[in-house]
Amino acid sequence: MDVALKLEGVSKRYGRFEAVKDLSFEVPRGSICGFLGPNGAGKTSTIRMILGLSPPSAGQITVLGGEGGNAVRDRIGFLPEERGLYRKMTPVDAIAFFAGLKGVPLGEGRKRAKKLLEAQGLGASMKKPMKALSKGMAQKVQLMAAIAHEPDLVILDEPFSGLDPVNQQGLEDVIRDLADRGTTVLFSTHVMQHAERLCRQVVLLARGEKVFEGTVEAARARAPRFLELEGALATDAVAGLPGVAAVEAAGDPAAGTATYRATLAPGAAPQEALKTAFARGLDVRRFEMKEPTLHDAFIVLTGGRA
Amino acid sequence: MKRMLLIARREYFAYARTVGFWLSMLALPALMLLGGMMPAMIKNASPTRTVAIVDFAGGQQAALTAALDARYVTAQAKAMREAAVSEAGEPGADAVREAVDRDGLEAGLAALKRVAPRAGAAYAPPKRDLRVVAAPPEVASAPTLAAAEKALRPHLTGGELSAVVLLERRDGELKARLWSERVSDEAVETAVRDALRDVIRRDRLIAAGLDPATATSLAELKPKLDVFSPKSAGGGEVSLRDRLPGVVGFVLGMLLWSSVISGASILMNSVMEEKSNRVLEVLMSSASTTEILGGKVLGVAMITATVLGVWFGLGAYALRMLLPGLADDLGSVLLDGGLIFYLALYLVGGYLMYAMVFAAIGAFCETPRDAQTLLGPVMIVLSVPIIVMQMAVRTPDLPLIKTMSMVPFFAPFLMSARAPSNPPLIEVVIALAGMAAVGALMVWLGGKAFRAGALSSGKFDWRGVFALMTGRG
Repeated sequence: MDVALKLEGVSKRYGRFEAVKDLSFEVPRGSICGFLGPNGAGKTSTIRMILGLSPPSAGQITVLGGEGGNAVRDRIGFLPEERGLYRKMTPVDAIAFFAGLKGVPLGEGRKRAKKLLEAQGLGASMKKPMKALSKGMAQKVQLMAAIAHEPDLVILDEPFSGLDPVNQQGLEDVIRDLADRGTTVLFSTHVMQHAERLCRQVVLLARGEKVFEGTVEAARARAPRFLELEGALATDAVAGLPGVAAVEAAGDPAAGTATYRATLAPGAAPQEALKTAFARGLDVRRFEMKEPTLHDAFIVLTGGRA
Repeated sequence: MKRMLLIARREYFAYARTVGFWLSMLALPALMLLGGMMPAMIKNASPTRTVAIVDFAGGQQAALTAALDARYVTAQAKAMREAAVSEAGEPGADAVREAVDRDGLEAGLAALKRVAPRAGAAYAPPKRDLRVVAAPPEVASAPTLAAAEKALRPHLTGGELSAVVLLERRDGELKARLWSERVSDEAVETAVRDALRDVIRRDRLIAAGLDPATATSLAELKPKLDVFSPKSAGGGEVSLRDRLPGVVGFVLGMLLWSSVISGASILMNSVMEEKSNRVLEVLMSSASTTEILGGKVLGVAMITATVLGVWFGLGAYALRMLLPGLADDLGSVLLDGGLIFYLALYLVGGYLMYAMVFAAIGAFCETPRDAQTLLGPVMIVLSVPIIVMQMAVRTPDLPLIKTMSMVPFFAPFLMSARAPSNPPLIEVVIALAGMAAVGALMVWLGGKAFRAGALSSGKFDWRGVFALMTGRG
């Protein structure tokens, strides 16, 4: 497998506090990898180590074949979690400046900036100072600044935070477009829906430790499936169905009908539970099989550890 | 290197494109121009006062009038000497003054045209500050002093006269009562007091038995003192050219100090802004700490160089136009023994040391209040050279000054102040070597602190700084 990013036994200690513990994972070239974890899980510390901004206390990081991000700085694009640009600069100048730092001549950088801004619907604002742009517009400009030099690896730290749903959708399109062109994208987030829509591979971190690495489907498979039942049912009757590990009631059973969310045990077949329910004459008026989301997997895999 | 230049370019234009930059750059020349022109403008705008003298003392009016007129001759002699000094130097200026004293104003003007043709052609006599006029008849003919005082009032309030001097003799002493149009016209008061002193002095000398001619010559005595020093340029008589290095040293020391402070402050604010704007992290992912710091230091150095270049350019042009002789002297002082080269080294060394300190401080702070906490000790260090700067110019060989000027953090300013007095080469070498060593140390430490500070977050505290610097934070 052609690997764009590889971490082997990486740790980061700040005094006695260990922010990242023995972390290892790989990101295949040209893929979109979600780097997931709750706040304080060690995502930003890991990203800083990948970029070469701070050295790992232990372990090795290989980025685009080079040792550490410093060696291949020009081939990486980075959008930090806390965003900001020079307030008096225009979007064109800002994008051209950051592309220039990555080796793109200023004239070419300006051309690319104009093209990118037009494509993102910011053509009318390209000569306004950054301070005159809305937060969403400024975030788009910063993303353009991170990718204008056409990097091989793009690292986005919480790219969706602060964006409205329309802009979030636009950013998802940009990320897909990057991957279509062969760029490897690693983005951190604690909002699972984005990762679910964008990624094939995810790495889950909790309290500095990797708790999962693999495909989204594999992550989901680690979480239990649910059977939703609605009708004039008793909690005990639902709990007594085969394969049901736990039951959570929604609504008031005393009102006549209620909805139950039955958690299925690993490997249990929902058909068996349904068949038994009907065989026992339970008053089931509606049923639905619920596949676990990445969010469910996240809760299970992190064990609720934030 | 390309990245460093790109960062320097951005840094330069971020300031050079602001109105504030141009305003602050042109403020000093404008203030100097205004400061230079203001006294002349005030003098020219002031009217020539008309002063009448009424003599109740008997026979003193002519003497007081002559004493007041003599003041204008003295003012013209001084103006001619000042006009000559730039073009003809001290000896030429003295020759003009002596010609006035010996043979009068016409002779003085002829001497001025001879020794300083350009200044002579452009010379215009200073505006006369007061003129003695005849008293109005009813005042002049008043039988008593009280009657004269009553009669003169309308002439003062009507603006016909600026002042009236009433001379009287009481208890055998010549005394005067001055009636002035304005309550606070000190110019007339001073002129009359000085003239009266001359008259009384001459009278007393005559009363003591001297003949009038001797008494007059004693009253007008101007001792000529020639100053010599083996350290003067000619090995003998001390001229303005010999005193110029001291003035140049002080001015350059102060200029260097303010340039270093303002340059380093610009740098600190720039870093602080980037940190609070969260740009610093992106920059650090795009360039090395050395490139970022180097680019910023270079960009701000270019700003400082632009300001100094404009100031020097305008100053040199103004001097060449107005005081060409002084411009030549200044030029020779700056070029003498490569002084300008040493000054450039002191400027670079001083700027580098303090720029790194200020940049590192900026990297740890997001607000000016945070920066104040860290700047306190640095400002104490920076205030020391200011306190001893004048001493360094006056007594550059004092052991305390010599020692202090070799302390790297003081060296740029104190050595600049001492430089025109040609300090021993070994001291220059020690100071420069110390600056280079501390400069290199500051680059290393500053880079480390900058990196640690740039990635830090939250409220500033000393423990956090130490932990980050040592890699434990």
